[in-house]
Amino acid sequence: MTVRILVVDDHPVVRQGLRTLLGSHPGWEIVDEAEDGIEAVEKADRLQPDVVLLDVSMPRMDGLEACRRIRQTVPKSEILFVTQHDSPQMMREALGAGARGYVVKSNAARDLLAALDAVSQHKFFGGQDRGDHSDTK
Amino acid sequence: MKLKILIADDHEVVRRGLCALLQSHEGWEICGDAKDGREAVEMAKQLKPDVVILDVGMPNLNGLAATRQLLQQNPQQKVIVLTITDSDQVIREALDAGARGFVLKSDAARDLVSAVEALQRNRMFFTPRVNDMVLAGFLDKGYNGSRNEAPKLPTLTPREREVIQLLAEGKSSKEVASLLNLSTKTAETHRSNIMRKLDIHSIRDLVVYAVKNDIIQVQVSSNATTPFEGSVA
Repeated sequence: MTVRILVVDDHPVVRQGLRTLLGSHPGWEIVDEAEDGIEAVEKADRLQPDVVLLDVSMPRMDGLEACRRIRQTVPKSEILFVTQHDSPQMMREALGAGARGYVVKSNAARDLLAALDAVSQHKFFGGQDRGDHSDTK
Repeated sequence: MKLKILIADDHEVVRRGLCALLQSHEGWEICGDAKDGREAVEMAKQLKPDVVILDVGMPNLNGLAATRQLLQQNPQQKVIVLTITDSDQVIREALDAGARGFVLKSDAARDLVSAVEALQRNRMFFTPRVNDMVLAGFLDKGYNGSRNEAPKLPTLTPREREVIQLLAEGKSSKEVASLLNLSTKTAETHRSNIMRKLDIHSIRDLVVYAVKNDIIQVQVSSNATTPFEGSVA
């Protein structure tokens, strides 16, 4: 079954890079993109994606707030943060907001495919170097 | 013959995005991609690109220091600096270093193709804010946003700029020596000279200086408990 993905980042170049990274994977489909949290919440509600790839720092509404809202309105959508914040504290906040996974942008090329694979199966992913992805459902 | 472009950014996601953006342009090819400034300088020696696109905030050797080295290596080298901020400090450093293009990362999807096209025609490409600064400098009327500030790195040599970045990133003198192919003693001498010139007396002050002057860029968590929590962007 195809995993439907919404990509959210305020930088178009990053969105394009994520598209390129994910594009070749069979069974994954990027259904749309959003450039801030407000647009992400609206598109998640409309498109009901399986996974939302979410940046933390964005204009108008940041990723943490968007995550909380999407978890409320579209509980079936899993949230995977892709962020430059390489901080355990931020990761805790992200998971506290309801995210299922957390990938640091500098490791995205290495971690993103494994993270998406885990999160789309409702498994937790926190980074390969932390060795802590496990089934929490 | 195709225009050869070398790109450098420490995030592979961004490199992939830039490649996708530029590769679709007829007559251009990405001849290489580097993950920091040092690698970009080395690759430029081998690949002889027509245009180099450099992120400012990269580990080991930032984009501004790499621009200086590329221009030293080849005074005709065309460099576009890609940055998350067009602060006065970064603009001044980029212009001083010899960059011919200046593009904000947030506008890269819109501006980068135009910037490369401009350099291809031997023109320059700057954001409106940089244009204002260049014009103000040309007219020598001063630029309100910058004239009150003295240049921030007036006395450091290019080698010292490399060393200060590495020290601010947390590397020891021994590691600096190894990365720059110096003896540990020479690296320590550079470190002493830097601290003397800048009148700073601790590594903490050196890090503060490096952050304030955009030598390194630090991602600060929204509720970080320490001033430098996070990673070099």
